[in-house]
Amino acid sequence: MTTVRDPSLDLLHSVLNAVTLGAVVLDHDRRVVLWNDWMSEHAQIPQQQALGADFLALFPALRGSRVDAAIDQALRHHFPSLLSQSLNKAPFPLYANAAAARLDDRLQQAVAVTPVDVANAPRHCLIQINDVSIAVGREKLLREQTLVLRSQTFADGLTGIANRRHFDVAIEREHRRARRHGTPLSLLMIDIDHFKAYNDHHGHQKGDQCLIQVAAALSGMLRRSADLMARYGGEEFAMILPDTDTAQATQMAEAIRARAEALAIAHAHGGNSGVVTVSIGVATRSVASAVNIDTLIGAADRALYRAKKNGRNRVEVQTPG
Amino acid sequence: MVELSELENDALIEIFNIGVGQAAASMSALVSEEVRMSVPSISFISRADAARLLGSRLAAEAEAPDRICGVSQHYEGAFDTDAILMFPEDKSLELVRLMVGETVSLQELTDMEQEAMCEIGNIILNACIGTLANVFEQELRGSLPEYHVGTSDEILGVSGSEPDSVVLMLHIDFALDKHQILGYVAFVLDISALHDLKEQINRYIARAMGQA
Repeated sequence: MTTVRDPSLDLLHSVLNAVTLGAVVLDHDRRVVLWNDWMSEHAQIPQQQALGADFLALFPALRGSRVDAAIDQALRHHFPSLLSQSLNKAPFPLYANAAAARLDDRLQQAVAVTPVDVANAPRHCLIQINDVSIAVGREKLLREQTLVLRSQTFADGLTGIANRRHFDVAIEREHRRARRHGTPLSLLMIDIDHFKAYNDHHGHQKGDQCLIQVAAALSGMLRRSADLMARYGGEEFAMILPDTDTAQATQMAEAIRARAEALAIAHAHGGNSGVVTVSIGVATRSVASAVNIDTLIGAADRALYRAKKNGRNRVEVQTPG
Repeated sequence: MVELSELENDALIEIFNIGVGQAAASMSALVSEEVRMSVPSISFISRADAARLLGSRLAAEAEAPDRICGVSQHYEGAFDTDAILMFPEDKSLELVRLMVGETVSLQELTDMEQEAMCEIGNIILNACIGTLANVFEQELRGSLPEYHVGTSDEILGVSGSEPDSVVLMLHIDFALDKHQILGYVAFVLDISALHDLKEQINRYIARAMGQA
């Protein structure tokens, strides 16, 4: 028996393989019934291996994911779903080439899962995957440039380090990150000892120079990009140390205290040492003590107050909460 | 315009709260942070009144009035409707940035952020309609979400519906961290769709009462 193939089917087949997006169709039992060339190339799974395979057997890491739920919505409830790159990043292990695959450097993806009605068969679903890597890169650049422009209004006019506004934005961002990732977040409150006496004795110009010098030296000690030192108030500075526990933060605070003292800025009324020193309060938000921003700042403030009361030029730690 | 009995009103509010509760759970999973949503009230109003209401209410809250972001999906089956999630433009910026965890905000939603907004709308609208379909024991099918910016009248008219259409309006309270954002979901219904919806509600209530 000979069968005459409908030529339009060949055309559809060619078109499907020519489009520059991933197209996968699953039947009602979630078996792959269609897998275009784009998928073969970027998933590095040939068509003959994909066809007939269980979807979750091909992508076991997607079990229980939003992709999994979207397929369920399409097959069972007839609802389409959109999975944006911003909220889902790159759910499928798809790569530009073999080198990217070795580095697990995935294509950035926008995914749509839509129900498909099929004659004489239970409902199927179509998964479309768009490579949005270029758009993601472009927006990242746009954001970086905006940040550079904005950082000019985020800098303290005198010392050039971050200002209070920048601190407020950064602590909010780092607090959110710590909460989502379950990582510790430490905050140091740093205050120059007897600064009023320094100003009164040496004059305001010298006072300003002292602030500039201390700010530059201490901010220069930060090595990681997410660390931030900001001028919090007159002679008070705040340092945000993400992913830093109490022990590490205390060690850092001690190094900062020593660095300030080593600047050896003469201070006739600066207590015993005769030089400018700083007092530091340390507080850490941890999983065990998952406090909000105000409580964290309050704890660092209290620690600083204790450092002042206990003789200055020292570090004190306060557990928040 | 459309009178709902107290029973019908309460039943709908309950159904929609189940829906947005599921949507909130999906969104919480997506951002690994607790997202809370509730529907405190619903109302039936004409499309023209809805546009006026949205215009004035949203404008009173927004710094730059008039501009509204909407995500729409068309559903058909047990009843036909255009479902639209709406926020004032600045609130939608805030919502997307909270969800994405991005702090550098630009003047408008970028393409990627618009897509994220579409996904948020998709989750909320599918959950609301899905719960309705579920309790009505009926099937509804949906289209993919579309993003719109414009005046309330433009957004409500995206489907080309007649101005005398009826709108079932849900107030949605959205909370993430210490931020609270008020939005709206509108179901635009023509007369026959409205009739179908009321019939489904009454069947559901009859079943629920029968079981009690």
